[in-house]
Amino acid sequence: MTIENKKGWISWFNPFKYGTDRWMYALHRLTGIALGLYLIAHVWETSNILNGPVTWNKIMVDLDYPFGAHYGPYILSLILLVAVYHAMNGIRLTIVENGLMLPKPYRPEFPYKAKSLRGLNNLLKIVLGIFMIVISIVGVYYIFTGAVL
Amino acid sequence: MQEIALKGFGETVKTVTFRIRRYDPEKQELPKYMEYKIPVQMGMTVLDGILYIKEHLDHSLSTRYSCRMGICGSCGMIINGKEKLACQTQILELGKDLIKVDPMGNYGIVKDLVPDLSNLFRNHEKVKPYIIREEEEPKSEYLQTPAQREEYAMFTDCILCGMCLSACPTSATDELYLGPQALAQGFRYISDNRDLGFNERLNVLDSKQGVWRCHFSGACSEVCPKGVDPALAIQLLRQVMTTNVFVKFKQKGTANAPERKSVSGVS
Repeated sequence: MTIENKKGWISWFNPFKYGTDRWMYALHRLTGIALGLYLIAHVWETSNILNGPVTWNKIMVDLDYPFGAHYGPYILSLILLVAVYHAMNGIRLTIVENGLMLPKPYRPEFPYKAKSLRGLNNLLKIVLGIFMIVISIVGVYYIFTGAVL
Repeated sequence: MQEIALKGFGETVKTVTFRIRRYDPEKQELPKYMEYKIPVQMGMTVLDGILYIKEHLDHSLSTRYSCRMGICGSCGMIINGKEKLACQTQILELGKDLIKVDPMGNYGIVKDLVPDLSNLFRNHEKVKPYIIREEEEPKSEYLQTPAQREEYAMFTDCILCGMCLSACPTSATDELYLGPQALAQGFRYISDNRDLGFNERLNVLDSKQGVWRCHFSGACSEVCPKGVDPALAIQLLRQVMTTNVFVKFKQKGTANAPERKSVSGVS
């Protein structure tokens, strides 16, 4: 009798031993889940304005000072990083999953490194990675100082 | 010269521990790991190691292999966390004293390291991996230039080892997903200029469990022992599907492109 041997959802977050694309896939899933949870919390947070200015102000301060210290900007920066990564990788996937910026069918040669995961796809990763860093620096600077860089 | 090349050959270099996941269908037990110590010689592959265990240490160990040189694709297994053909993996190249051998994931286990590949072959059959023509009997040869052959030649290298499905994170949770192997073969036959079966394959490929289920994690291309690059095939197949909505897909080399019956199946 054969038994099941499914790797299950836990293997989404097991990119070790595979390539960069597999890492980006795992991070994309993770950031996607994080953004989904953030969105729910965000709707709850902003809906509190219906309870009047006193409640609103109290919640704003509570969220800015969680666990008794001024952690608000750090949490916000993290959310920004998550969102920027998800957006940038989303742009890359939209391009690449439509077959653009990929090589034409080629003849595989011995070390058998897949060209679809390299070449222009890699260039796209680097360019969007630079974008991500720039946007993150500007965003984090704004979160902490309130001034546009 | 030859003596230098053969120096150290046949001598035991070191002792390596194999940790193999065992499952016996006759016992009502879950799979468990068992350890074997084997002496390693130069040029010894993981498959050689498993056969050494079978010959000297434990005769009940089961594995599936045939050619021992990476042609047949029978000995796919997870070696130290990554899908590899056991016959092509050198023990000394791994550079570890502990080698963990698991049967391929996302399939059933028949016994020990033998996976149940029926799912793979069923999916392969679904995409109609043969040339479809209107006429029953060919009247003459179907012509093809070398350039036309190059357009799909790399996907014909598939040896059906099934390691792409084992590595695929989508297959890990979705049982009905066609998988990289079948989708790559679908693309191979669609881009063949002798084939006219695009519309016949459309309802299988262009479905929720078909080409749109891929998330391009590239794990299939990463583990493919023949460099078939199934991820590339899936993305190019997607391009065909999306352009098919706007521009009628013209199969190359045919005088009249087949009629596009319906694109409403696009989801």
